[in-house]
Amino acid sequence: MNKKTKSLLWIAGALFLLIYPRLFGIYYANIVVTFAVYALFASSLNLLLGFTGLLSFGHAMYFGTGAYGTALALTHIPGLPLIPAVLAGLLASLVLALCIAPLVVRVSGNAFAMMHMAFGQLMFVLALKLRDVTGGEDGIGGFDIPPFSIPGVISLDMTDPILFYYFAMTVIIGSLWLLWFFTKTPFGQIMVAVRDNAKRVDYLGYRVPHTKAVVYVIAGCFAGVAGSIYALFQNLVAAYDAYGILTSFVPVMMTMVGGVGQFFGPIYGAAIFGLIDEFTTRFTDRVELVLGLVLVLVIMYAPYGFAGFITKMRLRWAARKAA
Amino acid sequence: MTILETRSLSHDFGGLQVLTDVNLQVVAGERHAIIGPNGAGKTTLFNNITGTYTPSQGQVYFKDKNITGAGPCKIQRLGMGRSFQITSTFDRLTAFQNIRLAVLSQKGIRFNLFRFVDQMDEVTRDTVEILKRINLFEDRFTLAGNLSYGKHRSLEISMALATNPDLVMLDEPTAGMSVDETHYAVGLIRRLTEGKTVVIIEHDMEVVFSLADRITVLHHGTILATGTPDEIQQNPNVQTAYLGQMED
Repeated sequence: MNKKTKSLLWIAGALFLLIYPRLFGIYYANIVVTFAVYALFASSLNLLLGFTGLLSFGHAMYFGTGAYGTALALTHIPGLPLIPAVLAGLLASLVLALCIAPLVVRVSGNAFAMMHMAFGQLMFVLALKLRDVTGGEDGIGGFDIPPFSIPGVISLDMTDPILFYYFAMTVIIGSLWLLWFFTKTPFGQIMVAVRDNAKRVDYLGYRVPHTKAVVYVIAGCFAGVAGSIYALFQNLVAAYDAYGILTSFVPVMMTMVGGVGQFFGPIYGAAIFGLIDEFTTRFTDRVELVLGLVLVLVIMYAPYGFAGFITKMRLRWAARKAA
Repeated sequence: MTILETRSLSHDFGGLQVLTDVNLQVVAGERHAIIGPNGAGKTTLFNNITGTYTPSQGQVYFKDKNITGAGPCKIQRLGMGRSFQITSTFDRLTAFQNIRLAVLSQKGIRFNLFRFVDQMDEVTRDTVEILKRINLFEDRFTLAGNLSYGKHRSLEISMALATNPDLVMLDEPTAGMSVDETHYAVGLIRRLTEGKTVVIIEHDMEVVFSLADRITVLHHGTILATGTPDEIQQNPNVQTAYLGQMED
């Protein structure tokens, strides 16, 4: 695919997303927002899992903290505009990531995964028990969603699902672009090198723990942004949705199914999960049964996920064309 | 001028004494080979010098700085590069990306999150130049893990050299190579280390005697002798301990 076709495809995709809610209505617009939130959440996890080789079973703590950060800021600060509310979520996740990073960057593998499970559950229990702050199991809901406004220029009502769709998609696509950009910087190269061979990275004169810490904080921040959009979207944040163990597992599964270590992997994964969820619920409530089965099949037959499968098909196609 | 010195260096692994009272001196600009039978402690000595292990006793001085107990990253930044006996590259990255990581390190580009690495023309140019010098330019888009053994070894050695260190520590660079590959690798090392100080562990005596200015013989964790290739060949202790065995 040459550069021209590629940019044409991107423009077509952007146009499609632009007219999408007009074509399909609010219900399907909301499905896409949910998908996009998870795509960003899973992509931030992929930065750890796929690009740096760090498996986290507690990434929900950044998603949840972002969600609670935004919800709490909107509840307690009257008249807080929309963008600062999102930034409040990001900031909350940033602070948490800065606190936890020094503890976890010196471990990897199972220890890293398990420590995150522990920290994630700790956050969950805190959210459940500190009822005065978090509302416990019921969570925080019904806070006012401020309009997107540039004073004197524009003010868009964010309770209108279609206008919110545009806002959420802009923030999420912007965040995804930034994540993609990070993987293309010199730093992005070093983080992939840490995944492949941390010892050699050390011998090349790069500080491995520092590298991991920076990746970790970035991943936490973007999970926070995903959580923040989620809070605005649902107008409700509750302990199970924000910090529950499933919320940690889902992005891991999405990344596995979509393709670990490929930038678009988790985005495919989120789309596949979204579609499965949408179609399965029409017949049964047992969505997890189908998702679990898909995960098993992917691990058995397509270990590099959907993105790996596409690459394989493309190579096969190119080989056939050449022959 | 001595660039690297170990003073009464000892290392034991929980009671197993691997190095005892090693006083090694490497002069700036020389090619210094370390030889010795299997289990003599050559790689352990390397690991103590390059920061993998902290010595149990004694000190390591590099450029007159005490680097005892410093980590690999810090020692590398002082100007000591290292290659490994067991090939240790980034196998899921291309040959180009492997070398580029070394070039980035050499240029001190570490936490740059604001530019496309592909658009750093100077980095790309230096990387391509190195790849051409080591005859890997044709294979630049091959994943390191998919390179042939000889090429993979060349990449391993070149990564240590691409950071442009003052002192290069090569741990058995020709390990497992065929005769032709060894011949090629020796030429490569000779070419790439022009004007640098090299410490090299080597089993192949032909390589050692053709490459080294000075040789240190390690036996049971202690230095048996140090000297020019001729002196080492004449040394009766060395002959009984090491070279003699090979003539049986």
